[in-house]
Amino acid sequence: MSATRVVITATGAVCSGGKTPGDIFAAVRDGKSSIAPIQQWDTTGWPTTLAGEIAGFNAREMVEDRKLHKLIRRTDLLGLYAAGKAIDAAGLAAHRDALAADAAATFNDRTGVYVGSGSGNFENQYDYFPLLAAAGGSLQTFGSELANTVNPMWLLRSLPNNVLGHIGIKYGLKGSNACITSHSCSGSLAVIEGMEALRNGEADRIVAVGHDAPIEPQMVLYYHRLGLIATAALRPFDVARDGSVFGEGAGALVMETEASAAARNAMVLGEVLGGGEVSEATGLLAIRDDGDGLARAVVAALDNAGIGPADVGMIVAHGNGTRASDASEAAAIRTVFGGDAPPVTAFKWSFGHLIAAAGILETTLALEALAQGVVPGVAALNELDPECAGIPVSPRPQVPRSKVALILCRGFGGTDAALLVSAA
Amino acid sequence: MMPRKRVAITGLGLVTPVGNDVATTWDAVLHGRSGGAAISVFDASGFPVHIAAEVKNFDAAGALGDRKLIKLTNRSHRFALAAAEQALQDAGIRPTDADATRWGLTVGAGMMGVDFADLAGTQRHSAADGELHSDLLLTDGPANDPVAFCRSNCAAGLSLLTRRFGIRGYTSAVHTACASGGQALGTALKLIRRGGADRVLAGGYDSMISPVGISGFCLLSALSPDNATPQRASRPFDVSRNGFLLGEGAGFLVLEEWQAARKRGAHIYAELAGDGNSLSSYRITDSPPDGDGPIQAMRQALWSAGAAPADIDYLNAHGTSTGMNDRSESAAVKAVFAPDVQRLSVSSTKSTMGHLIAAAGAVEVAVCALAIRDGLMPINANLREVDPDCDLNFVRDAPRRQRVRMAMSNSFGFGGSNSCIVLRHPDETDAAIRGEAT
Repeated sequence: MSATRVVITATGAVCSGGKTPGDIFAAVRDGKSSIAPIQQWDTTGWPTTLAGEIAGFNAREMVEDRKLHKLIRRTDLLGLYAAGKAIDAAGLAAHRDALAADAAATFNDRTGVYVGSGSGNFENQYDYFPLLAAAGGSLQTFGSELANTVNPMWLLRSLPNNVLGHIGIKYGLKGSNACITSHSCSGSLAVIEGMEALRNGEADRIVAVGHDAPIEPQMVLYYHRLGLIATAALRPFDVARDGSVFGEGAGALVMETEASAAARNAMVLGEVLGGGEVSEATGLLAIRDDGDGLARAVVAALDNAGIGPADVGMIVAHGNGTRASDASEAAAIRTVFGGDAPPVTAFKWSFGHLIAAAGILETTLALEALAQGVVPGVAALNELDPECAGIPVSPRPQVPRSKVALILCRGFGGTDAALLVSAA
Repeated sequence: MMPRKRVAITGLGLVTPVGNDVATTWDAVLHGRSGGAAISVFDASGFPVHIAAEVKNFDAAGALGDRKLIKLTNRSHRFALAAAEQALQDAGIRPTDADATRWGLTVGAGMMGVDFADLAGTQRHSAADGELHSDLLLTDGPANDPVAFCRSNCAAGLSLLTRRFGIRGYTSAVHTACASGGQALGTALKLIRRGGADRVLAGGYDSMISPVGISGFCLLSALSPDNATPQRASRPFDVSRNGFLLGEGAGFLVLEEWQAARKRGAHIYAELAGDGNSLSSYRITDSPPDGDGPIQAMRQALWSAGAAPADIDYLNAHGTSTGMNDRSESAAVKAVFAPDVQRLSVSSTKSTMGHLIAAAGAVEVAVCALAIRDGLMPINANLREVDPDCDLNFVRDAPRRQRVRMAMSNSFGFGGSNSCIVLRHPDETDAAIRGEAT
């Protein structure tokens, strides 16, 4: 077990449920869903029309600097918003700016950024459609007309690591970093690798952020064709569940060594205790029925944190509403906790599946739940599927049995991640 | 305090523009035989730049032996699967049912994108006038083909590799543009050090030699426009350099906890000894002229390796052959290695292979491992007149024969991520371990 404790000094989040972790959590706690018909394109005739879109999305509200809007995409705006809110709440820049020049430079070098990014989309490539149409199948024309047709900054807009680069530039942070593109586990992995960078002495402070904006026509269509999108509602663990629903947004944490937080008298919201991540080696789409991967990820996280199953006070399940994932997730919880699982909840029914941002945004909500002492009920749960029996999930609120939350996350490629956090 | 776990490099696999295996690539890199040529994978004659360093004569069916699998891959995934297979064969070990959960996978992955043929197909069906008609997507071929989706997903490479080789432990894909491959190896190093895995398959893969990929770089004027002289186009640190030569390929390494590797009698190329990782936080595409950012990455890598600048004998530079990068990197190297910077031998093997983007860092760390094994440093090809701003001690004209105690590899990416990896000769590591024991 590591001697360095990793504390959380600020959070930030945005999704269809709200623009702060507190507001999003309140919506979940109060049983409200912000999933609604998609507005970004005309879905007349579409077999699926639901998503957790941010209503009245305003790029200026996300990122004030208009010049930047030409260089980045919607997903980046969301990531920069959540990260900026967390950095401001932690007072990192204000603290640094009060330091002498040398100390400020060291502060920047010792503050890193770990990002989980959705890593791409389809719409950005449509910027080539006018050129393709004009070229009429001739690559020679495509090449010669290129510079007259396509935004010269196209490649920069496409970079998966824009949030990382622009947080660094805006706040002057220069430390240890990564941009992780591991589908739904990306945000959770940003927390895990950021935590390890603090433990091993690479950095004193880490801004971790996950962001994604998957609600676009071709993405929704593919997931629908794969049978992964719900017809009417995302109903985790329900006998009638039939799929997931996309959301969009970002979540962010400022993590610090205990010594860094103490040195700047930062308010401590909680602690990252540990994390684990594994692969099921089943290919892109398949997952094991027995929940083996997820169970191993939880055990790895518990070992990493140096605690046991009985110490866990509540579980935020992945609960994405697909038949296979929820059933195998319940199996994994039964495997690790036996008959003694703490209260289980899930959040995606309220604002959708944020893919790369899911694990980290839900971590910010877990901290709210622990602070308020409420495990929100899953309002979309009517009748527990017998396949998901044996886990204490309920449509009604429950009470966490300790100050420790376990946050589960599952992604394509058979990847499973588990995070453990505690509230102060 | 327990001595920190060390990490051994026990297997290498390479698919590069100058060779489809390690031996061929190493020979070409040592002697500076360029992989540059006119682009052949599509008609690039109308593009401002129509040269690149392509992987040549790559037999995917032969290398992978599974036609069903090939359907699920894009070009870069095929390179990755082939290079990873080579690395595991070279190491003489692969995951078994008994230890699969103790194997990890870390990759530097290229940018997600649909294959150009699929993009063009969707344009013809759903955007004939240049604008997307979302109702037409419902009957579009590629947009409804799950296999096209699988090829394009960001987790595709990772899932192909874990499934093919049965890796069931920690897996992570990183994309920090041209720093991706180096950061993937750094991730693996830290993973083994903290006990999160005993063995890791780590590497990078990329292919942007496609109409859209070439377009992106052309629009930024990042590529050398020397269409008539593709083999001379990449000339890092030369005063006449004018952009990089786009390459493609994959590099994979098998990494093992040192004692475990020694116990099974594995051949160890080198210790993967240190990882440094910083942000320039300057501009998205520009490098800071004074080397700020890369300086911190190199210093952190030395710290991570427990080494001093004087311990490094060979630097495989990022050296892209752009005006700005090479100047900025030279300033950083001088700052870190002062006052003995002329003692350090430097070359950029992008002078022969071109720039493999997300694969570059992993491929170049493999080159450093070979330099340590053979006591031979590869040349910086095409260096006729050194830029006075880049007055380092370059390996020129012929490979330099000298025992390499430690080597360093730099990779800096768009977005400002800087990765630096340090390797140590295995005899030096064994001596250090004996020192710790007494």
